[in-house]
Amino acid sequence: MQDIGKVRLRVPSTIKAGEPVRVRALVIHPMERIERDAKGQVIQKKYNYIDKVLVTYLGKQVAAFDTTQSVSENPFFSFAFRATGAGPLKVTFLDTAGGKYEGTADIKLA
Amino acid sequence: MARGITRRGMLGRLGALATVAALGRPLDAVAQTPAGPPTPQFGQQESVEAAMKRLFGARPIKDGSAVIKLDIPLIAENGAVVPVSVEAQSPMTPQNHVTHIYVIADKNRIPVVTHATLTPEAGQAFMGANIRLGETGDVRAVIEQSDGTLLAVKREVKVTVGGCGG
Amino acid sequence: MIPRLLAAALLLSGCAAARSDAPAATVAAWSTRAVPEARGDVKPLPDGRKEAVRYPGWTKEDFSAFRTYGYGDARPEPAVQKAEPPAGIAGDAKRGRALFLSRAKGPCTGCHLVPGADVWPAGNVGPDLSAIGGRGLTDAYLYAQIHDPRVTFPKTSMPPWGATGALGSGEIADIVAYLQTLTGPIAAETDVDRNPATRRRPTGFGDNLDPTNNPAVVLAEGAERLWAERGAAGKSCADCHEGGVDRAMRGVATRYPRFVKGYARVMSLEDLLTVHGPERTGRALPMESDDNVHLATRIKMASNGLPFAVDVESPEARAALARGEASFHRRVGQRNHACADCHTPERGANKFLGGRWLADVRDGLTRHFPTWRTSQNQIWDMRKRMQWCMTPLGMNMLPADAVEYAELELFLTSFDHGKPLSVPGIRH
Repeated sequence: MQDIGKVRLRVPSTIKAGEPVRVRALVIHPMERIERDAKGQVIQKKYNYIDKVLVTYLGKQVAAFDTTQSVSENPFFSFAFRATGAGPLKVTFLDTAGGKYEGTADIKLA
Repeated sequence: MARGITRRGMLGRLGALATVAALGRPLDAVAQTPAGPPTPQFGQQESVEAAMKRLFGARPIKDGSAVIKLDIPLIAENGAVVPVSVEAQSPMTPQNHVTHIYVIADKNRIPVVTHATLTPEAGQAFMGANIRLGETGDVRAVIEQSDGTLLAVKREVKVTVGGCGG
Repeated sequence: MIPRLLAAALLLSGCAAARSDAPAATVAAWSTRAVPEARGDVKPLPDGRKEAVRYPGWTKEDFSAFRTYGYGDARPEPAVQKAEPPAGIAGDAKRGRALFLSRAKGPCTGCHLVPGADVWPAGNVGPDLSAIGGRGLTDAYLYAQIHDPRVTFPKTSMPPWGATGALGSGEIADIVAYLQTLTGPIAAETDVDRNPATRRRPTGFGDNLDPTNNPAVVLAEGAERLWAERGAAGKSCADCHEGGVDRAMRGVATRYPRFVKGYARVMSLEDLLTVHGPERTGRALPMESDDNVHLATRIKMASNGLPFAVDVESPEARAALARGEASFHRRVGQRNHACADCHTPERGANKFLGGRWLADVRDGLTRHFPTWRTSQNQIWDMRKRMQWCMTPLGMNMLPADAVEYAELELFLTSFDHGKPLSVPGIRH
């Protein structure tokens, strides 16, 4: 599906230096789970879910998530970072099939 | 009457928002791994007791209700999308900050939902996610502080199943 | 312009219209442009049975025996049947309780509360039955009620479970045996949410227009590429509708559904795209295709904040509204339900159906469609929602672009008149 991997980020329009800032992030992704039958046998072998989210700010990793199949499809995450300077905030999603999806917000200070 | 955070409440706290349409592109070709992802996987099919043991061993976990705010609806309309957020009071200094936040759903086949690793640069001990819940049950938030202390809170979420077909 | 008083009058007068048969087929038949799983097809199986073709994951059960919204479907409601409990069948109360709670059957708890911590979530569309066994009602009375409640209550919303074969006689006997054990007294409630009368309302899924909250916004924005892309005829939407989607389409969605003279029928935007797209650009936009739904969503977003202004005055609109209103009150399917049974306050509205809060049609039910459905992880337009509503209630689907659905949608939209669009919605 052509929409898989699309990322949207939201940050406040006014960001003051030194303040913690909350970010909202969403990525379009099926978060496919392993399906098992009543006996516990795997009946769906195709296996593709986001298992890692990395947050990088001004080149340094400020937060990371390990995520599992218990996270919703089209996962939404939110987190905070301290706005120390103007520059890129990058959110990278990695899935178990080797996919890598990124979104970048250009942080500007008020 | 219902308590619990709404998205409007969250957006309100963020103030006037600028949407950054950061269009992600798949940077690598999506390859299907026939046998599954490389082990070990953070999310495993196990009991919640086994999950807690795997994550925390025999370490004591103290009651965190004075410190942790777990925002989750008391009644979820479905188990597919349940918004959760965890906020812990912490100065987030290099000497004293929250290093880990875990969200665990007791009744899920895969109880460990997500785990955030934070640095002082995060500025707040805060994380939010939309999670799947298999059925009515407890959802717990466990935090680890930089001195190794573990604190936890939990709440029951009732998951609504069906109506007259949907 | 449709004053609220007129709308309410239309709603109440529907009771009279409901008893008449389906309108004569004065509406020209429409050849569907829907994707295969949305056409309401029924296919024969090798063993002689029939199977209904529906969307992936939906039931394949065939309900051809029961009447539909089709304008040519002149079948009456199922005949009212008074039944005696069959001699020699002793009901089993334990089996009866399992049946009462079973989602494969009613569940009866969809409308009726009974005791038990495992009763989650029961509804209150029907009366609380927690002490019905203490009322001295005979087995025969209860049996006949479940078999066909219309014998005692001609205007009831409760399905005729036995008369239409939804429950077998043994099953009804089991349920009767169970109900007779509910002699009370009713235990004090320890959980305020268990009882639908005191349960807290759902809080929804937040800001529907925030792309970091509603995946449908992201998918609809993706449809902008369709707007500018050339179809097989070498043209794009943008070639005729200049200035970008938002400027070119501003206000357009406020006027739909409407009677389109060129096709001599009422059409929603989604209906119109199925013909307008291929005719002008050569691009196929079949009903219920992703392209159609996403593009319709994107076009409607251009009217967000603007009030609905559908035509309800012209002769064609009035005739269509009358037919749509009749459909709203028409009893259909195995469970013999009408939209009005759930969506008018005289019956089910503002109550819980199982765990679902039922909305009042007069509040306007269409201005957030197409909507993201979190339980499905899909965008659903109004047609798919209609097709879904009646499927578990035992009716075969009409094609998604059927005129009957369009005119019903026009009737529903008349209650959104003057209210602002907010598309896409985000709901369970």
